[in-house]
Amino acid sequence: MRIILVGYGIVGKGVTTILARRHLEKIASYGFNPKVVAIADIDGAVINTRGFSPEKLEAFKQKGYPISADTEFGHQGMTALEVIENVEAEVVVEVTPVNIKTAEPALSHITKAFKTGKHVVTTNKGPLALAMPALTELAEYNNVFLRFSGTVGGGTPMLEFAKRCLAGDRILTIKGILNGTTNYILSEMGQNRISFQEALVNAQKLGYAEREPSMDVDGFDTACKIVILSNWIMGKKVTLKDVDITGIRGVTLEMLQDAAKRSSTIKLIGTVDNNEVSVRPLEISWTNPLCVSGVLNAVTFQTEYAADQTLIGRGAGGIETASAVLRDLLDIRHKLASKLLS
Amino acid sequence: MKKIIMKFGGTSVGTGENIRQVADIVTQYSKEYRISVVVSALAGVTNKLLEVACQAKNGDEKLVKNVTDELLQKHREAVVSAITGKPLQKEVNQIIEEIVGELEKVLTGICYVGELTPKSKDYVVSFGERLSAPIVWGAIRDHKLETQCFTGKEAGIVTDSNFGDADPLMNFTMHLVRERLGPLLEKGVTPVVTGFIAADQNGIVTTVGRGGSDYTATILGVALEVDEVWIWTDVDGIMTTDPKLVSTAKLLPQLSYQEAAEMAIFGAKAMHPRALGPVSKENIPVRIRNAFHPENPGTLITKEPVADAKQAVKAVAMIKDVAMLNVNGAAMVGAPGSYAKVFDVLGKNNINVMMISTAVSEANISMIIKRNILSRAISNLEIALLERGGLVSEVTAEDDVAVIAVMGAYMKGTLGIASKIFATVAKKGINIRMIAQGSSELNISFVVKEKDAIEIVKAIHEEFNLDKT
Repeated sequence: MRIILVGYGIVGKGVTTILARRHLEKIASYGFNPKVVAIADIDGAVINTRGFSPEKLEAFKQKGYPISADTEFGHQGMTALEVIENVEAEVVVEVTPVNIKTAEPALSHITKAFKTGKHVVTTNKGPLALAMPALTELAEYNNVFLRFSGTVGGGTPMLEFAKRCLAGDRILTIKGILNGTTNYILSEMGQNRISFQEALVNAQKLGYAEREPSMDVDGFDTACKIVILSNWIMGKKVTLKDVDITGIRGVTLEMLQDAAKRSSTIKLIGTVDNNEVSVRPLEISWTNPLCVSGVLNAVTFQTEYAADQTLIGRGAGGIETASAVLRDLLDIRHKLASKLLS
Repeated sequence: MKKIIMKFGGTSVGTGENIRQVADIVTQYSKEYRISVVVSALAGVTNKLLEVACQAKNGDEKLVKNVTDELLQKHREAVVSAITGKPLQKEVNQIIEEIVGELEKVLTGICYVGELTPKSKDYVVSFGERLSAPIVWGAIRDHKLETQCFTGKEAGIVTDSNFGDADPLMNFTMHLVRERLGPLLEKGVTPVVTGFIAADQNGIVTTVGRGGSDYTATILGVALEVDEVWIWTDVDGIMTTDPKLVSTAKLLPQLSYQEAAEMAIFGAKAMHPRALGPVSKENIPVRIRNAFHPENPGTLITKEPVADAKQAVKAVAMIKDVAMLNVNGAAMVGAPGSYAKVFDVLGKNNINVMMISTAVSEANISMIIKRNILSRAISNLEIALLERGGLVSEVTAEDDVAVIAVMGAYMKGTLGIASKIFATVAKKGINIRMIAQGSSELNISFVVKEKDAIEIVKAIHEEFNLDKT
């Protein structure tokens, strides 16, 4: 399967690592032979229509920025859109940085891929948060697949669990801690009795929080994920502007200590149910399986028959998220194979 | 008087001077034969039209004007040097201007609509022959011959509505062509007919696609029950091999229809099998001749060549820009339908297989396909068939190979041809990657590394004395 990788940051590099590692085992066990035929980064691209060898992919990573400087395969100044338009491939893997204002450039990359008949795997929440109903329709219309399991839960298969493992059952509500950074901050505040500000600084020192932390602490990241869960699992046609969002800046040490007296704590919870799609700090009991601490994520699906199902895992990380990309690629290969043989 | 069709290709009507030469040839032979002329577009014009049609689709109106001006200029120049009589020049120029005017309108229309359907593409492309035919007509008239100009549609060639690759409704065509051209020929008039273009039953312009103007010539040949079809081109005829590869390549004086069809792999310098279809059914001989050396006899294509033209190996060709695709899988052994799955996947992805070879052990199929679609072929085969415990365990490829084809109708039943071919290759110390021969025995094809291909073509050419015929 020929793959165009768009975006060469932490996740992009993780994707090449995972595709290169145990390459033969992928062929033997899954009949899956991934070939990266192009990598497009912000200032240019590398292209090899035969597919880059695992060694070459590793060499790109060692050599670092900019990859388009490669003398043999480099195309300096070539844009990702040009690569998607001109290079033959089955799948575009879109892993550029998130932008929740315009969703660009990822949104253009994805629509260009659809129009040129390419399937898309993305870990980018922006386009989905802003235009998920539009994108799923466009994919269906162009007869291509759009997969995005890396957008929610990182490497933890939250989307597939709900979609596949709970097939036939009815999911009534989804509640989840979907952002590791805020969960770390709230855990730190509660356990070490420090203020929001101190906990934020600690998180930034450890690399859990960005220097501009708004995306996480104001609840937008969680909101993006809740939009994706709403659309994909609950069939609600919502976008980011439909989510009622409150971040954790208003959570004080006093509130946490108060909750502790009731054997509870405060977590930033994303919720989808019949009435609302929301993100806000909520008090939950220590005994609630959702009550995980540190950078962990957790999600509970309340179902009609199978009752509550909770999934816990690391919700982020380059290699974890890249593993979700691999799952999506395998899923697309499987679907394409049955299409080709029908 | 015998009847013949004379078809003149793009380079033989490339310039005004060449068109004069065409008129000379027609005039000279008109003393012996009743001639119908089929003409291609001036060299390069059809491609230019295709190009401008595609660009017109993107709304480039200025380019349309430039191209139509350029075409007008080109054809006017041809008129001046092809036709001497001033009044006649003026008359032909007027026709050309009208046709170019119409072309400009069509292209501008495409600019506005922003769409190029196969139907409108055929219409645009038809202008190439519509512009060349009047000049040839004028040049023949210049020689005081009675002549009349027809489009394929006016001549009565009716096709299906498969635009871009239309096939004639042969009986209907025969009926109309005989009605329209027959009486003129009887009166000694020389019809000049545009090649390549025709019309469907509703009168919408079509093109015959693969086979081109040669196809028009053979269709007309059958319709008019001619004695021979002459294809005038810029080479002496069909050669034993590509003279650019082997300087000792010789002209083949005679070939059978079957052989000529095999030699279509020589490309533009030979005839497309499709064009040979109508004449081979009616047993009408075809001659390929050089318009620039009309004294040469050319290649005669008939049902059964004369005895001394029945040598076993007639020609050797090399096919480049190909790749070898190998599909391996022990699970294919003894499994009915397994090959079908492989070819079904390729077919669904619009991949044409040029050559196949597989041993009776069944665990491997080797194929030759065009090199530019190799990665698509591999990718789709892997996606569909590579599966744990599945049919196919591995898909491999080599993209540095070439096919060598050794051809001749009388290879059939002649012993020792294959051993001679392969001994020749072995003597050069070159490894053969793949071999195929169908039971028709017209052709033995094998695959070698591209770097060795020319050397082998030369060696086989020599071994079978093709340089000495």
